[in-house]
Amino acid sequence: MTVRLLFGAAVLVIFFAAPHFLAEFQLFQVCLIAATALVVLGIVVVTGIAGQISLAQAAFVGLGGYGPAILAARYGVPVWAGIMITAVVVGAVGYALGQLTLRVSGHYLALATMAFTAIVQLAFIHSDAVTGGAVGMQMPTLEISGKTFASGGTLYYVVLPVVGVLFLAVHNLIHSPVGRAFAAIRQSETAAAAMGIDVLAHKSAAFAASGFLGAIGGGLLGLLSTYLDPSQFGITQAVYYLAVAVVGGMQFPLGAIVGSAVFVLVPEFLQAFQTYLGLVFALLLLVFIVLRPNGLVSLASDLLRVVGGKQQRGAA
Amino acid sequence: MAGSVLVSSITAGAVYALIALGFVLIHKGTGVVHFGYGDQVTFGAYLVLIGQAFIGLRFDVAVAGALIASVLLGAIIYLAFMWPLRNASLLARIIASLALGTVLREFLRSYMGPNAWPFPFLLSSTSVPVGGVLIVPANLAIVGVAIAVLVALYLIFDRTIYGKAILAACENSTGASLVGVHVSTVFLLIWILASVLATVAGILVAPLLTLSPDMGLIGIKGFTAAVLGGFNSLPGAVAGGIALGILEALAGTYVSSALKDMISYAILIAVILVRPQGLFGELTLKEV
Repeated sequence: MTVRLLFGAAVLVIFFAAPHFLAEFQLFQVCLIAATALVVLGIVVVTGIAGQISLAQAAFVGLGGYGPAILAARYGVPVWAGIMITAVVVGAVGYALGQLTLRVSGHYLALATMAFTAIVQLAFIHSDAVTGGAVGMQMPTLEISGKTFASGGTLYYVVLPVVGVLFLAVHNLIHSPVGRAFAAIRQSETAAAAMGIDVLAHKSAAFAASGFLGAIGGGLLGLLSTYLDPSQFGITQAVYYLAVAVVGGMQFPLGAIVGSAVFVLVPEFLQAFQTYLGLVFALLLLVFIVLRPNGLVSLASDLLRVVGGKQQRGAA
Repeated sequence: MAGSVLVSSITAGAVYALIALGFVLIHKGTGVVHFGYGDQVTFGAYLVLIGQAFIGLRFDVAVAGALIASVLLGAIIYLAFMWPLRNASLLARIIASLALGTVLREFLRSYMGPNAWPFPFLLSSTSVPVGGVLIVPANLAIVGVAIAVLVALYLIFDRTIYGKAILAACENSTGASLVGVHVSTVFLLIWILASVLATVAGILVAPLLTLSPDMGLIGIKGFTAAVLGGFNSLPGAVAGGIALGILEALAGTYVSSALKDMISYAILIAVILVRPQGLFGELTLKEV
């Protein structure tokens, strides 16, 4: 218990100290990592834990961005409220999509979620009157009780607490009976059903969670980039989020953070090679899925085991 | 009017059919759904372009070179990625095939630029009026090649001992190896054959569509065609492709051309949900 308290206190100290040591741009990047990690956390829940492949995450992110922007532009809803309303609605959409898994799994589920992303993206592009069409639309500035949050330095105080709380929630979810049911379904649906788990309801719930997390992440990413470009919400981007999850470690919430940090920071170090960035990411994904399908986090835990001098078991 | 809509939709359908045949070949032969196949089609067309523009080969020599290079590509894909992953989870294999496609696409974007390239027709692209309907020889070639590939694959799978060996290797690899089928050689040949087929499709399709790194997104149309046809049926893939081409042309003419693509993706989801065995396939039941 004391360890936990100390850990919590350390996190708080770092959270409040960081703005004094980091430049505005670095704070922006921290926010970007956190928001991306939240999106990828959705994949961790639905694919990493519950074992259902999903290429719908880019669509959830897009909906999460366009929702509050449209609500604000048309009905004057405050952005923070818009993000919450949208996230609940997208969560429901995710639940409905999860109902597909009654009849579809594996390859066909990947295909169906891919088609879902394609349809949502085309809807963004062709609903010119509402979404600004292929040009995209402006994301309104976040205002809470008269204060505006427009820069990395100010959004830091909104993005990080939101992401932190949701990570804590997912951590608890994974270690709850629901989370263990997800893991049971991943390992064997038949066995899970035999144990009395309502497989369809749990798979739908996992999709709902991924939709909710993706939508909040999408809203935060929209606030950071201030502009919604429909080309950012297609199948390519869905594979990108999957790549972040794979490289970080798909079965661990920590993997979402590690993967996002890699994918956000690597471009900084490779500025001279901007044209090759897409290729570098694609190769990272390929190399990891073939050699290290459990990602960087599993690499770290294996290293710790070796350093700790424990006998390493053969590759499972 | 109706006649020319029909003819152009059959050309589009033949394009989908050609790509769908590749999906079905890989799936029927090795049990893998290759999500990067659309990008492999694009890559095949670019191979010709690279031979022509950067090495300075004649067009026909460049085509031959591209076909040889795609044999190598198919072998590399199998030996370096699909063979090591043969016992991996389905999830890992799906992601790996997505990753392969992304690597090919991003490679082209990095080295060949993100913009479109002009690509010559193999045959004349000027239309010839036949009985009041304009026929384009280049488009006719796509239909012809799709049917020829179908017939060739059908004969291989259904009429030769090699085809039976392929099906046996896919159905039960342990059993097949017990009766003397060299399973990994069979899989290697399938991947090479599919890779060559992708290049053929790319060369035929590139002048019709715009040849840019993103042309591979046509792959999802090929998927839809394959799903319509039942994913394991070669004639089904062709029928599914033609059906999709006609449905799209009808949707484009009578509903809205903006909604054309959305309709074909909606068809994909609907068929997966309502008739996962496809319009022409047989239902295989999972036994517990």
